[in-house]
Amino acid sequence: MADMPDPDTGDVPDRGSTALTPLWVKLFGIIALVVVLVFVVFLLTGRGHGPGRHTGAGGGHIPPSGHMEQP
Amino acid sequence: MTMTPRLRKLALTAHVTSSVGWLGAVASFLALAVAGLTSRDAQLVRAAYLTMELTGWFILLPLALASLLTGLLQSLGTTWGLVRHYWVLFKLLINVLATIVLLLYMQTLSSLGDVAARTTLSSDDLGALQSPSPVLHAAAALLLLLVATVLAVYKPRGMTRYGQRRLREQRGLR
Repeated sequence: MADMPDPDTGDVPDRGSTALTPLWVKLFGIIALVVVLVFVVFLLTGRGHGPGRHTGAGGGHIPPSGHMEQP
Repeated sequence: MTMTPRLRKLALTAHVTSSVGWLGAVASFLALAVAGLTSRDAQLVRAAYLTMELTGWFILLPLALASLLTGLLQSLGTTWGLVRHYWVLFKLLINVLATIVLLLYMQTLSSLGDVAARTTLSSDDLGALQSPSPVLHAAAALLLLLVATVLAVYKPRGMTRYGQRRLREQRGLR
């Protein structure tokens, strides 16, 4: 852990750094890509997503109040 | 621009407080969302959705913006930088994404709050209120913020190409 940056400042000790992308970065990238793809598929299949579109079973339609509901 | 050690500690305290506060507020929101979704008591459902709207406007949104601003200050004011280390970059993306989704979702929360505020509530209204959407959004937000917290604590190694280039330039100047 001698080549880790200072936790407060981020200063990196004078040691050569690897140009390879770390495995955890690749893993995060793949997960993010899968999430974005799933989101796009949901949009394209017309299941709908977005502000105000997921209230109620009708995809955003909130029916007006019709009658008194007894608690 | 590098901050003085005193200012750096102050900015770090503000960032940790707002970020962890945001995480805790989302956990509370999730509890309300689950209660609103599963309860058969109309009064409890209404109370849950009204509280969720208030929590969104007055706790979640201010904490999200504070976390984003203090995070920007913290990274730009230290040699961590904003896009030099992968963990900082991922945290920034998570923070920006969660804040944008929250801002957009406030519209839905407000409409749910409006329905819950009606003095007369039909069974249809109650059915519309009991949407799984707040639970799903809060659970996803909780997961994202937990990942951000883990990244902040562990600070996994790995510099971006830009970070490596800047490091080489700095060492070349010394």
